[in-house]
Amino acid sequence: MDRPLIIGSVAYSPNIVTIWEGMRDYFADTAAEMDFVLFSNYGRQVDALLDGSIDLAWNTNLAWVRTHAQTDGACRALAMRDTDTVFQTVFVARAGTNLTGLDDLRGRRLVLGSRDSAQAAILPVYFLEHAGPGADTVELVRIDSDVGKHGDTGRSELDALRAVSDEQADAAAIGINTWEAIGRDELMPGAFEAFWESPTYSHCNFTALPTVPDERTDPWLQLLLAMDWDNPEHRPILEMEGLRKWVRPQLDGYDSLFEAVTEQRIAARW
Amino acid sequence: MVSQHVILDLVEQVGAIARSDTVTVPLGPGDHAQTQIMVEDWCARTGNELVEMRGESATVRRGRAPDPLAELAPELMPGTRLWMYTNFDCNLACDYCCARSSPQTARRALGVDRVRRLANEASEAGVSELILTGGEPFLLPDIDELVAACTAMLPTTLLTNGMLFRGRRLEALRRMDRSRLALQISLDSGTPDLHDSHRGQGSWERAVAGIRIARDEGFRVRVAATLPYELTHELEPFHDFLDSLGIAREDHVIRALAHRGVADHGVELTLETLIPEVTVTAEGVYWHPVSADHEDQFVTPQIFPLRAAIDEVRQRFTEQRAHATAAARWFPCA
Repeated sequence: MDRPLIIGSVAYSPNIVTIWEGMRDYFADTAAEMDFVLFSNYGRQVDALLDGSIDLAWNTNLAWVRTHAQTDGACRALAMRDTDTVFQTVFVARAGTNLTGLDDLRGRRLVLGSRDSAQAAILPVYFLEHAGPGADTVELVRIDSDVGKHGDTGRSELDALRAVSDEQADAAAIGINTWEAIGRDELMPGAFEAFWESPTYSHCNFTALPTVPDERTDPWLQLLLAMDWDNPEHRPILEMEGLRKWVRPQLDGYDSLFEAVTEQRIAARW
Repeated sequence: MVSQHVILDLVEQVGAIARSDTVTVPLGPGDHAQTQIMVEDWCARTGNELVEMRGESATVRRGRAPDPLAELAPELMPGTRLWMYTNFDCNLACDYCCARSSPQTARRALGVDRVRRLANEASEAGVSELILTGGEPFLLPDIDELVAACTAMLPTTLLTNGMLFRGRRLEALRRMDRSRLALQISLDSGTPDLHDSHRGQGSWERAVAGIRIARDEGFRVRVAATLPYELTHELEPFHDFLDSLGIAREDHVIRALAHRGVADHGVELTLETLIPEVTVTAEGVYWHPVSADHEDQFVTPQIFPLRAAIDEVRQRFTEQRAHATAAARWFPCA
């Protein structure tokens, strides 16, 4: 290989550096060496992918949809985390409020996360439209606390939960990862309960443009898929990145977000 | 009643710090005992570590503190080797002796019963090598019994100045198990001057004679030199001399002079700078053989059970490294 694959990632936490340095070490001295560039937001990262500054982008689902839109579908997804194939949005209320489904949100106040968060803003509105009473029957409150990072920090979702806890709202829409991080309804008895969980959908993936040929990405992909949870050298990286196994992408898991972006007229860029 | 915001705060703030860093969050109103249980459960569930609950706050580390023991090479794990000071008296009075040994020093013998019990327990505690030192062990009339008790259980090394291999002591040497025992004989230079300047006139010649006797008797012999740090880089003539005595290169042991015991200069070796090697004397357990007879590295008077003593040393090492890491984190100068 003439030069390492350059991978872009958004720096939403200090551990991103540790994760990507670990990844770089894993690929060092192989036929698929890599390096990485960190971005402050997904808009800049997608721009860099499109102009060829980076070879691959570690994209959220919204960044994937936007890249897809700007390349007329020519971009390709290489791999994702096992956890990305079964992502969900969870609708959460204070325990004991007797909400049993999306229809019960009619006339109630629902807190959404950052407007560019697929799991906490875009898809919740989609689910209200397609599986609930319609978004216009619910009072939506948006907490745009980490715009640009597509909800990666989880901060807006935690703010949404605080609003529910403080009785400023009836319910919140959050990602399954945040629901797990607070211990679901098991750690804080009497605090929250989930009253609706969405179908699974796909989240992040490694995105490449056709200008980066398979001969460059295939060796890298093979090594990526070979990372092993039971290998003590690989495991810390996998734990920090929140997966047990890298897997091939499940593209049909993006269908709901493609529809949501169209319906909600979300800009194709940024 | 507990504050639910504690967990939300933890998710947010722990997620925003680097691995191994800590964050302190307020507990909020409510029952702190219940809140502590909730925080402990959250930490257990998420793989983080509750460092402490103090007053109105909880401090949590992202991930778990690295285990300093896990970072050691296997051969450096405390308790892999067990050092035993058989006695403290010596026929020499070296001017850098870390154990303050001399002919006037009280014997303070460990005794064959304790050595035997230590050897037995060492085998069960996962020790892979026993090392006997002093003082000069060959001053003990029952040195062959002590050595036999050790070699019956584990490979053993016996440190000596090699100057006493005559008469009944030579007979004692001959009774030792050559297949399980190595002798480590002290010799500081390839010519008499340096060695004798620290150890006494004529000691070099007798040590070299002792090396030859031990080799002739069929023992594996290591030769250990104690040198000022500045001399540890000019060793080729010394290595050549040891080669001429038939000492294998891997058995040339060069160590820097330590500022311990009666030495008036040398490398400063402290709890913080030494990786411990469990060392037992008649008085108890010490951190390292270079500091036996030094209060600052005294661990416990309880020699038995040996496994508990080893665990105590490992525990202190872990705590000491954690303390050093914590201190480094909260003491930036600028």
